[in-house]
Amino acid sequence: MTATNGQTTLSIRDLHVSVEDAEILRGVTLDIPAGEVHALMGPNGSGKSTLANALMGHPAYDVTAGQVHFKGQDVLELETDERARLGMFLAFQYPAEIPGVRVASFLRLALNARRETEISVMAFRRLLMEKMQMLRMDPKFASRYLNEGFSGGEKKRNEILQLAVLEPELAILDETDSGLDIDALRIVADGVNRLRGSDLGVLVITHYQRLLNYIEPDRVHVLIDGRVVESGGKELAERLEAEGYERYGAAAASEDA
Amino acid sequence: MTSTTRDLITDLSTSHGEPGWLRERRAAAWHVYETTPAPTWSDEEWRRTDTSWVDWDGAAPAANGADPARLALPMEVSSASVLLRQRGSMVEVLYTSPEARDADVTVVSLAAAAGSDGSMVADRLGTDLAPPSAGKLQAMNAALWSGGAFVRVPEGAKLTAPIVIVIDAADQPIFPRTLVSTGAGSSADVLEWWRSSQAATPGFANGCVELFVGAGSKLSYTHVQAWGSHTGSFLTQYASVARDAELATTNVTLGGRFHKGAIAATLTGPGANVRLNGMAYLDGEQFADHHTLQDHRTTDAASDLLYVNVLDGSARSVYAGTIMVQPHAQRSNAYQQNRNLMLQRGPRADSIPRLEIMADDVRCTHGSTTSTIDPMHLYYLGSRGLGLDQARSLIVDGTFEPVLDRIPDATVRSAVRTAVRAKLHGTAAA
Ligand SMILES: Nc1ncnc2c1ncn2[C@@H]1O[C@H](COP(=O)(O)OP(=O)(O)O)[C@@H](O)[C@H]1O
Ligand SMILES: [Mg+2]
Repeated sequence: MTATNGQTTLSIRDLHVSVEDAEILRGVTLDIPAGEVHALMGPNGSGKSTLANALMGHPAYDVTAGQVHFKGQDVLELETDERARLGMFLAFQYPAEIPGVRVASFLRLALNARRETEISVMAFRRLLMEKMQMLRMDPKFASRYLNEGFSGGEKKRNEILQLAVLEPELAILDETDSGLDIDALRIVADGVNRLRGSDLGVLVITHYQRLLNYIEPDRVHVLIDGRVVESGGKELAERLEAEGYERYGAAAASEDA
Repeated sequence: MTSTTRDLITDLSTSHGEPGWLRERRAAAWHVYETTPAPTWSDEEWRRTDTSWVDWDGAAPAANGADPARLALPMEVSSASVLLRQRGSMVEVLYTSPEARDADVTVVSLAAAAGSDGSMVADRLGTDLAPPSAGKLQAMNAALWSGGAFVRVPEGAKLTAPIVIVIDAADQPIFPRTLVSTGAGSSADVLEWWRSSQAATPGFANGCVELFVGAGSKLSYTHVQAWGSHTGSFLTQYASVARDAELATTNVTLGGRFHKGAIAATLTGPGANVRLNGMAYLDGEQFADHHTLQDHRTTDAASDLLYVNVLDGSARSVYAGTIMVQPHAQRSNAYQQNRNLMLQRGPRADSIPRLEIMADDVRCTHGSTTSTIDPMHLYYLGSRGLGLDQARSLIVDGTFEPVLDRIPDATVRSAVRTAVRAKLHGTAAA
């Protein structure tokens, strides 16, 4: 299936995903047009991270039915690294710790992987320092091992740093707000807002409305039990904050409600 | 037949103009060699290490001046303070920096030093650290070594660039021997690089390194074994570390079909601080065995060991490390860590830690991990656009990085990194 209009960055149709033979996503349909910010909300265990990882090609998640197109391409045919080079990016809820691999050297490789010509070491250095300054990160960060020994907040900031350096066309932020204090949250949201432009599509996954005070969504979708049960404008997020997820049924009882 | 070998050793020593004491030591070492049985499976140290391929009866001194083809040097000549190269048995000093000259550093062939700098060499060569009685291999080297390197860093001298020793072997057996001595308060980096000009010819190497680290001095000694892929190789590398001295050794094992390293540091004075680092990248049918010893013979000293093996193909590694704390060596700190990363199902890594703690007020830990590449790491790197090969080689680099990080000199570190990457990417190691 091709995108319904030239503007649609991401198009998800009736997506079914299983983990270890348990069906987690049970027919998700969602469009994110270029340049829009969409929020995906839902209680713990409703399948938000499953959707994010299925979109990125996580090996443990089996897509059993449905389609995903990004920029008109069938991404389910692509390997994870090919999806990334096509412009997709996932800021992980739980980023992997990779000992011995320094943030700067890894990020330069990653940037070069999506460029026609290699960026010079000097130019990369400048770019990295600029983005780190924007996120108010200590320059020492660049030579630390990737996520090893990082605090929860440092990991989240490091994910956003990668987003800022790699400049994808679709960013999925999986619970980037959890583990961040209010100041850090504001910095991260500022960072995202600055990247927000005519091209970048964003899917903000959260189960709190808090982050959406700083990153204002164009659309809000509610995921319950592996299905999008309701979509609306930003007022939907406010209503969910006030009422919780109970109205969608017992199965969806949120542990933070 | 063996008596003719002894005569040959004596004749060669005479023709090289070696002093009488050295000729006598060679003859005595040969006697030890002949009367010491070859290692067998039943010796604890050799239980996992097959030496049946060694032609013990055929051991003989190398023919004079075997002259391998000229190989490129592992670094720019001018980034060294002294560059000594041994080709076959022939030793030449290719470069001495003004800094090294001003500091009055001695870097010469061991054979020459035995003649001219006699007393220091006579006092130390094969006496305390690696005497022939240490074993059949040490005796073999003591009898047969040729060329060799002698490094003396005088009291208080501080070198900023590394002393580089390059040993080029061809199809002849080779018996390298290095003696390093650092004077009080001095500091130096030494890089010794073993490699073959004929990568595919079977070779035999048995080297011996003795490091005397003087009071309050700092020595970093890095050893790269990059023989051709058919060479069988033995290395004995023993160090003694005096009061307040710092030693970092890094053993990098890349080449050879078989490699056995016996690495020991004896801490003799309070305040001694030792780091023993090792990294091996093995593939195909390669086998490497490292036995290490952290020998605390004094109070208030510290040793910290990190050995990392990355194995591909059907390679095999053995790591066996002993921490020994003598009864009076109170307040010793000793750490030992062995990590093995398997790149596929074929390889095997054995890890055998041993603690012999005879003092009660000590801090000792050891740990060992053997793992495969975590698919979640590949996924994470993939999600940033790195393909499988790129992600794997980044993870391998990352596995070695903590060891590279412990090589203090940037020139040495980058030469080692280049050699490891060259092997990882299938281009011949320098
Ligand atoms: N890798 C996995 N292995 C097994 N079960 C999983 C895995 N990932 C998710 N699940 C299960 O799928 C369901 C949805 O999880 P997830 O997508 O993480 O929810 P959310 O992100 O909305 O909290 C949960 O019941 C969870 O236990
Ligand atoms: Mg989640």
